[in-house]
Amino acid sequence: MGIVMNQQDLLFQADEMYKSFGITKALNNVNLKLYKGQILGLIGENGSGKSTLTSIIAAIQPADSGKMYKTGQPYSPKTTVEANKLGVCMILQEKGTFDQLTVAKNIFIGKEDMFSKNGIINNRKMNQEAQKILDDIKASHIRAEMSLGRLNFEDCKLVELARAMYMNPQILIVDETTTALSRTGRDILYEIMENMKKEKKGVIFISHDIDELLEKCDALTILRDGIYVDTLERKQFDAGEIKRLMVGREVADNYYRTDLKSCKNKEVVFQFKDIQTDSLKDVSFELHKGEILGFGGLADCGMHDIGKVAFGLLKPAEGAATTENGENVKNPAQAMNKKIAYISKNRDQEALMVSSNIKDNICLASYPKLLTGPLVLPASEKKFVDKWATDLEIKMQNSSQYVMELSGGNKQKVALAKWLGFGADIFILDCPTRGIDIGVKSNIYQLMIKLRAEGKSIILISEELPEVIGMSDRTIILKDGKISGEFVREEEITETKLIDYMV
Amino acid sequence: MSADVKAVLTDVKESKKPIFSYPDFRKVFPVLGLVVVIIFFQIYTGGKVFTLKNMKAIINEGFFIMIGSVGYVFLLSQGSMDFSIGANMCVSCTAAALGAAINPLLAIPFGIGTGAIIGACNGFIHVKFKIGAFIATLAMQFILNGFVVILLNGGTLQPPLAMLKWNTMTLKFTTFLVIVILGYIVFEFTTYGKRCRAIGSCEEAARQTGVNYSVMKFLPFVVMGALAGLLGFFSLIRTGTASSHTGEELMMNVLNAALLGGIPISGGATSKYRAVVIGSLTMAFLTNGMTLMGVGTYDKQLIKGIVFLIAIAISFDRKNMTVIK
Repeated sequence: MGIVMNQQDLLFQADEMYKSFGITKALNNVNLKLYKGQILGLIGENGSGKSTLTSIIAAIQPADSGKMYKTGQPYSPKTTVEANKLGVCMILQEKGTFDQLTVAKNIFIGKEDMFSKNGIINNRKMNQEAQKILDDIKASHIRAEMSLGRLNFEDCKLVELARAMYMNPQILIVDETTTALSRTGRDILYEIMENMKKEKKGVIFISHDIDELLEKCDALTILRDGIYVDTLERKQFDAGEIKRLMVGREVADNYYRTDLKSCKNKEVVFQFKDIQTDSLKDVSFELHKGEILGFGGLADCGMHDIGKVAFGLLKPAEGAATTENGENVKNPAQAMNKKIAYISKNRDQEALMVSSNIKDNICLASYPKLLTGPLVLPASEKKFVDKWATDLEIKMQNSSQYVMELSGGNKQKVALAKWLGFGADIFILDCPTRGIDIGVKSNIYQLMIKLRAEGKSIILISEELPEVIGMSDRTIILKDGKISGEFVREEEITETKLIDYMV
Repeated sequence: MSADVKAVLTDVKESKKPIFSYPDFRKVFPVLGLVVVIIFFQIYTGGKVFTLKNMKAIINEGFFIMIGSVGYVFLLSQGSMDFSIGANMCVSCTAAALGAAINPLLAIPFGIGTGAIIGACNGFIHVKFKIGAFIATLAMQFILNGFVVILLNGGTLQPPLAMLKWNTMTLKFTTFLVIVILGYIVFEFTTYGKRCRAIGSCEEAARQTGVNYSVMKFLPFVVMGALAGLLGFFSLIRTGTASSHTGEELMMNVLNAALLGGIPISGGATSKYRAVVIGSLTMAFLTNGMTLMGVGTYDKQLIKGIVFLIAIAISFDRKNMTVIK
């Protein structure tokens, strides 16, 4: 498939873009074509490479290889400023403004010279000019002289938009911005996109909202795991087909659980009651003994906060996380008294001391039980570490090796060994197989199955749907911090079906 | 690829490994430094270093540096530091003198107690108000420097002369041994020592493994303070006076000892107890040697400053260093 369009209408082209981060191929020879007067949607799951691709186009980071052309000319800006000059502007997912400066100074950042005479900036003139731009994009409610720190997130995004529009871009890239915008904000953005289309310019639009994409875009490029899947044009649009293309990876599901029975034990060992945090809204659930409870959703749906609240790292604004005897979890030390273990998604920064050795990492949670009188003797440490390192088959030279020298999979095994040695009953695993090769992944799944069989309970939080479906007795899907669906293992759960609840 | 070629390639690969790498050098450097310092002064002073009289002088010198360093290594292992130990020793010495005026025996609790309270203030400010240890203790140093002048009313204080008799080698040597050995056991073989290093290695990982890091970060300041207070007391019975100059050199000596022992100034989990011992010895021999050579007080400071800079240049872990806490 593809779009048959005249070559001279081609505004931008990216060929064979390749970018890797360590062992992860974020982009694997991805192509993209943007025509004049086109709004091109970019869609794919978390980690499919959308943001990587667009940030390369906007020169925020360089590609490892690949060629880009703009109106037929080679395009290879080194910095964002250069990209801006070449007519490419990007609105980021994250905040890209400076709180301490005024709105006008944010809009003209790096261009203050336009308003300066003998080294003195004419603020009045700058404010007037900025206001004109804001008025142009119909965001007059934002005043140019206001301090940006006083604006809400939506208005900050509009300021970014004004800054981009002032540069009069030929290509505007909008990376998942609409979720931050209200109806008015969206209308402002949509109108700008429509105007650019009329002026025969181009827009690359990233969104997780399929309906929004279907409504606004002229064509849709679908990425999956860093690979270009297909580009559909408007008349081929079909929500079902798009979702199928998004998730249609070959799932090697033989290393997940093969049984289709969910946990029948109804003994509650842990529960959330109406938990509210910045990103969670009224989340309640019960975890049963011997159950793997999976949480899935988009990266920003709030699921990672569930682990933090459950382990007492994050205090909920309202509601309570309680153990089987009704006690609230207040802090990690107390959660550990209740035999709860937690492995953060940010393994190297939060779950492990990478600049310490394997022995210190594995023992850290278990010193109280390694005591001989008041002392922790090297012999008892060694025995303990040897047992758990062997048990988990950690590949290492010896237990004095630094954790930072290990591979991702072995690092995760060290984190698991720490908690297995500790003897936890409830494991909270946040993205336990992130950045881990298939061999160790399979080991970790087998371990989870074994723990489940021993009557331990697991909360599995993951951005990878196949993993959640493949391992969980029950799957809970979150959307914007709320539970949007719950499924037991017996149901025929498919990724496509779950995606409906996610977006 | 033929076997020969492969063999050649592996040879090349193996021979690439440097015989003497930089990390190895950092390991050997402390011992090397100690040996060089001893040999240098032994030759230069014509064998005066290893005389009985001088050994006593070295122990006198090393006593203060070593005990200060024992407290300091716990702070360093967490990535903390305390700039106020010299000023703390000065204030505690004055407090001990004030206590001695009431009853000589009160000098001990007054000295140690004052030191511990000052240390607790440091810890509280650092942990509760989340002010970096660097800034908090630097400010404390200025405050104490001013405070002691007020306490002494611009002059000096003398304890009862009888107290000077307490300054015996036996008492000092016993105290010294007890503290150094106790420090070693706590640092290497207790949950507390291990958790200190865990915090120094990765604070967040320690927190996410149930380490109560507020308490853990607070305690070493108190211990350090109490030890500075103890040194204040010993300074009082050694010199027979409490003045605003008491403890002036402690900070520089202890920091230098840690660096010469091979602990990076950023501290952290790699801090070793043996580093403290070796570094303190080096500093003691260095100070003593310069005295034997007749180097003046201010020249000594200048030389120590240069040593400090060299030690930092060698031990500073530029790659893993982000910011001084």
